[in-house]
Amino acid sequence: MSKTPLLDQLESGPWPSFVTDLKRIAAKKPQVLDLLGQLERSYQEKITHWKHGGIVGVLGYGSGIIGRYSDLPDEFPGVEHFHTMRINQPSGWFYTTAALRQLCDIWDKHGSSVMNLHGATGDVIFLGCRTENLEPCFAELTAAGWDLGGSGSTFRSPSCCVGPARCEWSCYDTMEACYEITQEMQFDLHRPSYPYKYKIKFSGCPNDCVAAVARADLSVIGVWKDDIRVDQSAVQAYAGGELKPKGGGAHVDKLDVQADVVGLCPTYCMSYDGKTLKIDDRNCNHCMHCINMMPQALRPGTETGAAILLGSHAPILEGAQLSWVIQPFMVMESPYDEFKELNSRITEWWAEHGKNRERVGELILRLGMREFLEAAELPPAPQQVRIPRANPFFFWNQSDFDAEAKGRKYYQTEGFDVE
Amino acid sequence: MSERKTDIGPPHYEQFLPPIIKENYGKWKYHEIPEPGVLKHVSESGAELYSVRAGASRLISTDFVREVCDLADKFCDGYFRFTSRNNIEFLLTDKARIEPLKKDLKELGWPVGGTGHSVTSIIHTQGWVHCHTPAIDASGPVKAVMDDLFEYFGSHQLPAQVRIALACCINMCGAVHCSDIAMCGVHRTVPKIDHQKLRHLCEIPTTIASCPTGAIRPHPDKSIKSVVVNEPRCMYCGNCYTMCPALPCFDSEKGGVALLVGGKVSNAKSPPAFSRLAVPYIPNNPPRWPETVETIRKILIKYAEGANKWERLGEWIERIGWEKFFEVCDLPFTFQHIDDYKFQAYETYRTSMHFKF
Amino acid sequence: MGISKEELVEEIFQMVEKAHGKRKLKASDIWKDMIKKHPEVDKKIVQDAIKTLVDAGRCVYTYFGGSFVEIPHEEAAAKH
Repeated sequence: MSKTPLLDQLESGPWPSFVTDLKRIAAKKPQVLDLLGQLERSYQEKITHWKHGGIVGVLGYGSGIIGRYSDLPDEFPGVEHFHTMRINQPSGWFYTTAALRQLCDIWDKHGSSVMNLHGATGDVIFLGCRTENLEPCFAELTAAGWDLGGSGSTFRSPSCCVGPARCEWSCYDTMEACYEITQEMQFDLHRPSYPYKYKIKFSGCPNDCVAAVARADLSVIGVWKDDIRVDQSAVQAYAGGELKPKGGGAHVDKLDVQADVVGLCPTYCMSYDGKTLKIDDRNCNHCMHCINMMPQALRPGTETGAAILLGSHAPILEGAQLSWVIQPFMVMESPYDEFKELNSRITEWWAEHGKNRERVGELILRLGMREFLEAAELPPAPQQVRIPRANPFFFWNQSDFDAEAKGRKYYQTEGFDVE
Repeated sequence: MSERKTDIGPPHYEQFLPPIIKENYGKWKYHEIPEPGVLKHVSESGAELYSVRAGASRLISTDFVREVCDLADKFCDGYFRFTSRNNIEFLLTDKARIEPLKKDLKELGWPVGGTGHSVTSIIHTQGWVHCHTPAIDASGPVKAVMDDLFEYFGSHQLPAQVRIALACCINMCGAVHCSDIAMCGVHRTVPKIDHQKLRHLCEIPTTIASCPTGAIRPHPDKSIKSVVVNEPRCMYCGNCYTMCPALPCFDSEKGGVALLVGGKVSNAKSPPAFSRLAVPYIPNNPPRWPETVETIRKILIKYAEGANKWERLGEWIERIGWEKFFEVCDLPFTFQHIDDYKFQAYETYRTSMHFKF
Repeated sequence: MGISKEELVEEIFQMVEKAHGKRKLKASDIWKDMIKKHPEVDKKIVQDAIKTLVDAGRCVYTYFGGSFVEIPHEEAAAKH
């Protein structure tokens, strides 16, 4: 009789079964047999059987390893220790088979052979390593050119969309930016010195395929400042049905340019007379809808860079936040000095003032946007808010009076007017 | 002992890019989706790259990865990638290889799809297979939901793309809070304190400090050397259990699944939005969570029937109004639906006469 | 002249040892305290001193909902 009657029920059905996959490993790896045994127990009892370990790691690092211990070690000795290792993924999750086979070899030798491609933050995840195998596994990983990713109160492994490697909409080189910033931040990635976790995600356009706005404290989202590039003959081909909406990815075969594109533009900045598509680009808010609908006719402009948004995190603790705009436009080019400097001002201010487990977005709500913006040396800009405040409870600093005395405006489009 | 290597960071991505991508990096002109699961990218140079997208579990073995590698060697000269939603993309330059690759994928039982107006792979957390605070499993409910919605993975029949996500507890380490449909494991009881164990295993000051809402206090009887929980303040996050294994927060009977709907991250048409509570509790019912699966299908079908073309799930609800959403989907509205948590609550209350009966 | 690097490392070690079992220290608790006591040191110097202690195995980084610097010890979860 099967020892896992409940899990066995997850072997049927058309979607690939993790149970079937784990079972074949269990034939070679006794710890995976115990993993399935303990998981079956959780399915019976509807509770977890893991305990959190907060001390195990590799020498010198305070991240990359998450301790896991079974609370049923006598019954399932193979999973008594079953620690997670996070391995920093390459930009865009591109691999060669040679590289990934080498990772598999290392993991077969030192661990359970169970993994995730990839974890929520983006790392390669190895699930199930005994404490004494962590160092040897780490040594082989680094010898092969891989390093551990972030965990704990660190700079977490950044991730990025596929960007210019395979997308025509990317407004900056997400792959390169992700790699360069990851390398720049190695000390903070491996040695927890922040109040809590800190994530950066790089998306090439406002479609935001890596969910930067929701899943990264610092969200770097590509955008253009000039005009959408239009191929009028391709617009005609969409109108005539020769080209399919969304490149064929939709449930309808023929686009109604007026209703589906012009009529759904959130800023009403387009018009179409049956021949020519006109866009009032100064009033476009870069939502991507028209471009998504007609990828062969429309493309982002060529004066490109990124908007910098800050603050998002999952609901713990003050409730979930989305990142908000702190700098509407930044040119993103190697060596990314402007970005690195801004990032450094943000993390320094947060490390100085943040409480344990307080994300940077929560700190800004606690201390106020002005204090943050001044520390980050960012001027106020209307793009930062959806609407201005409705209450009259605003305050004046000496610097405001000084600026006033010098005949300056409080709000400037260029520069930062506080000395 | 040889010198330890540290802080080398990830390998440079360039070594993993196939020649066609290196040659056309930043030069892509447009893309098409000739059929579900197949992307065609065309460069300014005229070069064509085909990506065949296959769905997989997130929880996999090295055996599985080696099988993926075998296919990538056979069809893609050893180059492939993964998407941000755990799909595998085989990168081909020869169009003629698409059908043979799809045939091999079919034999292995790996579905092709996840593009355009589909339900693509569910992003999720670890659940009972590796997490210490989950209310539910992750891989199991994901498998059950994808089995049920399988027809939508390999087709483009929905009004827009539908992104489903699962977090196995309210910490939402998978950040599922901006998904069209999100499953979230919920605990509904406070930690059970094992006083005997606590005094031996845990540091009392640090256990008290671990509670984000300040709900843990020293036990009034000093001789017990333990703590007590102020129950109304506890929101079941499990952080105290992270600190101290004598404070397990799970309950066999009362844990379950909440469903949140209508979130998105893209800026297309409407701005990024949080998912909102649709169903506060569905019983925890392994191994296939039938009530959860059924409720998700019901919401998806009502959305597919009711939405205008191009409308995301949240945009559909926004247009018809939440009161209509609950009516159309036949979901009860409860006290739990009304926000009373901190600063975001007020902005969810209706301050207009714009509502329906 | 101010405090030497070796003295700073020892002082940090003593601070961590003294807090053991009472209060978990974050790296920021340590650098804030050290900068207050020794105006000539900065955050980077203190972080490098913590790195020296961790690389030598005298202190470890731990994670319990937040990251801390502690004296190595057997963890509760590893005990049966």
